[in-house]
Amino acid sequence: MTVDQIPEVAERPRAVAGTGAVRSGGGSRTSMTARRHRAFYMFTSPWIIGFLLLTIGPMAYALWLSFTTFDGISPNWRYVGLGNYQELLSDPVTWDALGRAGLFAITSVPLSIIAGMMLAVLVNRPLKARGLWRTLLYLPAVVPPVGAGLIFKQLFNRDSGATNGVLNFFGIDAIAWLDDPYARYVILMTVLWAAGNIMIISLAGLQDVPRELHEAARIDGASAWRTFRSVTVPLLSPVLLFQAVTGMIASVQTIMPMLLAANATPAGVTSIPQSNYMYMMHVFAQYFALGRYGYASALLWVLFVLILIATGLIFKFTSGVVFYNVDPEAKK
Amino acid sequence: MTATTVPPKAPRTSMEPRTPDSGGRVRVRKSRLVLYTVLVVITGLMLGPFGWLILTGLKTTPELAASPVRWLPENFQWHNFADAFTAIDFLGYSRNSLIISLIYATLVTLSSAWVGFGFARLSAPGKKILFGVLLGSMMLPQMITLFPTYLIFAKVGMVDTYWPWVLWGLSAAPYLVFLFRQFFAGMPRELEEAAIIDGVGYAGIFWRIFLPQSWPVLSASFVIAFTWTWGDFIAPMLLLSSDKTTLSVAIMTSYVTDGGLPVNNLLAAGSVMYVVPILLIFLVAQRGFVAGMSTTGLK
Repeated sequence: MTVDQIPEVAERPRAVAGTGAVRSGGGSRTSMTARRHRAFYMFTSPWIIGFLLLTIGPMAYALWLSFTTFDGISPNWRYVGLGNYQELLSDPVTWDALGRAGLFAITSVPLSIIAGMMLAVLVNRPLKARGLWRTLLYLPAVVPPVGAGLIFKQLFNRDSGATNGVLNFFGIDAIAWLDDPYARYVILMTVLWAAGNIMIISLAGLQDVPRELHEAARIDGASAWRTFRSVTVPLLSPVLLFQAVTGMIASVQTIMPMLLAANATPAGVTSIPQSNYMYMMHVFAQYFALGRYGYASALLWVLFVLILIATGLIFKFTSGVVFYNVDPEAKK
Repeated sequence: MTATTVPPKAPRTSMEPRTPDSGGRVRVRKSRLVLYTVLVVITGLMLGPFGWLILTGLKTTPELAASPVRWLPENFQWHNFADAFTAIDFLGYSRNSLIISLIYATLVTLSSAWVGFGFARLSAPGKKILFGVLLGSMMLPQMITLFPTYLIFAKVGMVDTYWPWVLWGLSAAPYLVFLFRQFFAGMPRELEEAAIIDGVGYAGIFWRIFLPQSWPVLSASFVIAFTWTWGDFIAPMLLLSSDKTTLSVAIMTSYVTDGGLPVNNLLAAGSVMYVVPILLIFLVAQRGFVAGMSTTGLK
């Protein structure tokens, strides 16, 4: 379903093989085609095999587990059909956790994309030491999640954090940032801190924008904002759509910052602030605090199906908005 | 490109909007001032957290408990860094992290480039479906596979070994495959046409023509994969025992008092030493990374 939306560049080389065969005079057209087909599977086989063994296999295993009471220890586990699914659908904890994860995705993803795009536009201007600015702004995005978690925990520490230091300077009392209801904002800021990722990706897209388009807009007297809105954004839209989709998926799965912010060990996930108890935290808790592999697998499958539906909807509703450069090779 | 290709300064044409020269220059200077102010403020906000981490690592425990918040330590406690280094087996955990990250980043970059080439430059019946599956698998929550994969790895005795990272590396990462696919799809067709005429096989075309031209994506992919593995917390936590585990897991769990409370200054000092190698790797790799990105448009 999503395939139609992706520009089909790769179909073209078929013509190349044809002309190659004709020019070199050796081998028939069909044997060239057969060779290309074999080559395709030779190149894609590492992924295909890995996908079957490390994705399909475990996923099927999880699906099967989701119909059981398997907990890894008890030998008396049994098949319960849709029992786990019935239980999770009627459990308000599931819905609360899902709601928090959804809210987090629809706030953090657009905010990251907007922030990253603005950074990109900013450092795409003729600046002195432009490379240095880019590097500095991208630096936080390089920090691994554990590092970012540790850094933000220090920054928002109730007693020794810089944030409360600044608040105190303005006469505001110290806030327990890592507890309810503020913990979610710390997570949000941890995620926004890595906006450099989107900056770099947008920057690559911005540099593909033909200079003539900007010049034409300038000669026509378009303002900077108008140029941005009517030239830059439409040309960046495929990149942005890709970012929105992958960002949303990543964000629904977000678990590490919450775990890290709460300094939680696998067994102690129950101590996590309520506002950070998002869907994947729930799954994690069911797996590792309670060892309910069957029930947790059912939760995972529900999330997977929901993500597929949401992704499909995003592609469906943005297909008219997203602009693809019809002939990406023409400008070369 | 040399200066000769730059067209000589042409006299103003009537096409350009005419503004009085002096007024224009003042406006330009003002907007530049605003631009650089914005840049400095944003950069300060982005880098501030690093600074705070270092400052926290240089304070004493009473200073961290003081109210109101103390901005600077009275004396810089440099020994915190040495203490953080010896309080846990920092070198041992770093070596574990390094081994896993190098294994995974090297293998996954090469395998993803290889697979990406297939999707960008070749076709066969079933390709559309496979590409759809590839995109779909990017949507797959990694945990949905990680947790049951853990159970499977435990059954075949791969828990507490580095084999899972070898297998994950060899089987390519959909996100990186997509990255390479997009990059290779945009490369001029003439590149492989000539090679096909010369009778070079596709493996040769990939290895000798496409790979050497894809330094920006290769380094991006390597850096992404390396930092991803270095910073991963959940897979090593599940798969590795406490002496084989990575720095990420150790640092999260080891800087605690006997009562289980975090020792924040040592934790911060340890975090600095944990983050800095990653930043250094990026700074070394980014020469090609950013420069490559900004020149691809010119080629």
